Amino acid sequence: MDFNPCMKHQLIRKTVREFVESEIKPHVALMDKESRFPWEIVDKMKPLNFFGLQAPRIYGGADLDTISYAITIEELSRVSAALGLCVTVHNSVGIYPILKFGTSEQKKRFVPAMARGDSIGAFCLTEANAGSDAGGVETNAVELKDSFILNGTKIFVTNGGVCGTILVFAISEGKDQKSHASVFIVEKDRPGFSVGEIEDLCGMRANPVSSLFFEDCKVPKTNLLGKMGQGMKIGLTALDTGRIGIAAQALGIAQAAFESSVSYAKERQQFNQPLSKFQTIQNYLADMATKIDASRLLLYRAAACKDSGKTFSAEASMAKLFCSGTAKEVTDLAVQIHGGYGYSKEYDVERYFRDAKVTQIYEGTSEVQKMVIARSILSRPS
Amino acid sequence: MVSELPWDSKTGTLKRELAQGMMDPASRRALEAALQIKETQGAHICAVTMGPVMAQEILHQAMALGADAGVLLTDRRMAGADTFLTSHILSLFIQREYENFDLVICGSQTSDSETGQVGPQLAEALNIPAIGYVNQISVKENTVEAQRHVDDFFEILIMDLPGLITIDLSAYKPRYLALEGVEKAFENPDIRRIDVTGLGLDESFNALKDSPTRIIDVFSPTSQGNNRVLKGAVKKVIDQLFDEYGKVISSAMGKDLKTHEHDEV
Repeated sequence: MDFNPCMKHQLIRKTVREFVESEIKPHVALMDKESRFPWEIVDKMKPLNFFGLQAPRIYGGADLDTISYAITIEELSRVSAALGLCVTVHNSVGIYPILKFGTSEQKKRFVPAMARGDSIGAFCLTEANAGSDAGGVETNAVELKDSFILNGTKIFVTNGGVCGTILVFAISEGKDQKSHASVFIVEKDRPGFSVGEIEDLCGMRANPVSSLFFEDCKVPKTNLLGKMGQGMKIGLTALDTGRIGIAAQALGIAQAAFESSVSYAKERQQFNQPLSKFQTIQNYLADMATKIDASRLLLYRAAACKDSGKTFSAEASMAKLFCSGTAKEVTDLAVQIHGGYGYSKEYDVERYFRDAKVTQIYEGTSEVQKMVIARSILSRPS
Repeated sequence: MVSELPWDSKTGTLKRELAQGMMDPASRRALEAALQIKETQGAHICAVTMGPVMAQEILHQAMALGADAGVLLTDRRMAGADTFLTSHILSLFIQREYENFDLVICGSQTSDSETGQVGPQLAEALNIPAIGYVNQISVKENTVEAQRHVDDFFEILIMDLPGLITIDLSAYKPRYLALEGVEKAFENPDIRRIDVTGLGLDESFNALKDSPTRIIDVFSPTSQGNNRVLKGAVKKVIDQLFDEYGKVISSAMGKDLKTHEHDEV
């Protein structure tokens, strides 16, 4: 068992860090303040394969392994959690389900533009009355001869305001008179599709999270992803891989808050000595470092599980549960260490604190992760 | 800054295992210059570095950026080489493996020891012309035109090939690496490791012992806090200044101040 990162993973980290430190970091505070999605930065990210991280090269992707993927999201989120969110959602629940369940025609039709970053992906499941309970979805799809008609409203859609290719989770009545969930691929220029107002959220403000409306939105039958009734399976598979991305995002936020705290604790003088000389602060830093390290190990294990072809559902949930908890706790301590300054927008830790919380909510709440983990434990033969 | 790096005071060498490995900023720019030649005129680029095994990472980085081959000159017996032996070892590699090379491009200086000596010394060892601290090059037939900033003007030189150029930090802003490039650079890359034997050096070669340079100490200039403020009438203060510090000022200026009249100030 080797806990040292290999040369490739070290170089992936340095490569991403170099880009985000020079091209994104100087703009992050303003992006957050103005709740602005930075298209000009996205244009610089496109040729570097941020939008096709794991897509095969025949579709223009970088074909990265999942640990490299996790490192990329971690490093991106260490500087901009909002862009980290955009990229991980686009790759993990936008492109990945099409690669996993799509026909060869669908892959050729949708993946190249997405992998280039010319069409940003979104996955919409959540509705006013359905979130953790995916069975409560009311958006419906009526099957016609050669098409489907979609009607419904999705809320809290990450990348909603900027998406080009949308995976929509909808129900339809089958020949057996029962409701079946399916996933449909909708292009943004389909008549009947529209974007609602951008949500006014606590954190991730540079990501245009929005509602999406489908009003008699007609899509050809060739836009059905997988088979009719396969929606739940596609959704759960997408979420498993999405959770690795969100765990990486949470880890990146925690890492940033930790680094700020260490340097602030060394600089800030109180009672004629730096904060770092106080045992209380040392304890905080030790707790932060330990949780971050444990989070990273859980995350990379989940990623390695996925690459080895094993089931990784419980591992991804453990990583997501622990990393998001770490992000919340570490950013809280970071604000505490920074004192009044930490509560001010003058310092980045205030943003980390706001950004961290949602990692415990989306892509399955912490409570849902525990359900997944418990189900896995209890289904094992005793 | 050199003195901020982990130095071994006993051997006068850098503790490279404690330093985070990276491609030197000037070398990144040298590679960028090479890549631009390759893109416009076509070229085979071989990235070569000397160092411990972990230095191989920067060869993958070079290949991810567009180099065609990478060579790591690595051997415990090469450890501790000064700039003279480093240049010598590099020249042996080039003579053995790239006999018909056109142009050697180096970074003007490393970011760790910042001597700027390896490039020019390598040209000497290869017996080829060299231009240092270049910020723009264009290759034409069998010559290269190079521009560099000297004092307040640009100097343009034309050099016959084969030759050597060192690129400074003012131009050839390096491109960012695409992630696909990184992934590909680890899939069967043309990277070789060559040791002392592979270079035809004697088995008893020992760079630390054979290097003519000895580094006695590495330190940052520190303030002594010995500033004095002279107070009183101007004439009196100036006399006092020359009486007490005349010798120091003379030696700094390279002139004997005693020959100058200063009584009439």
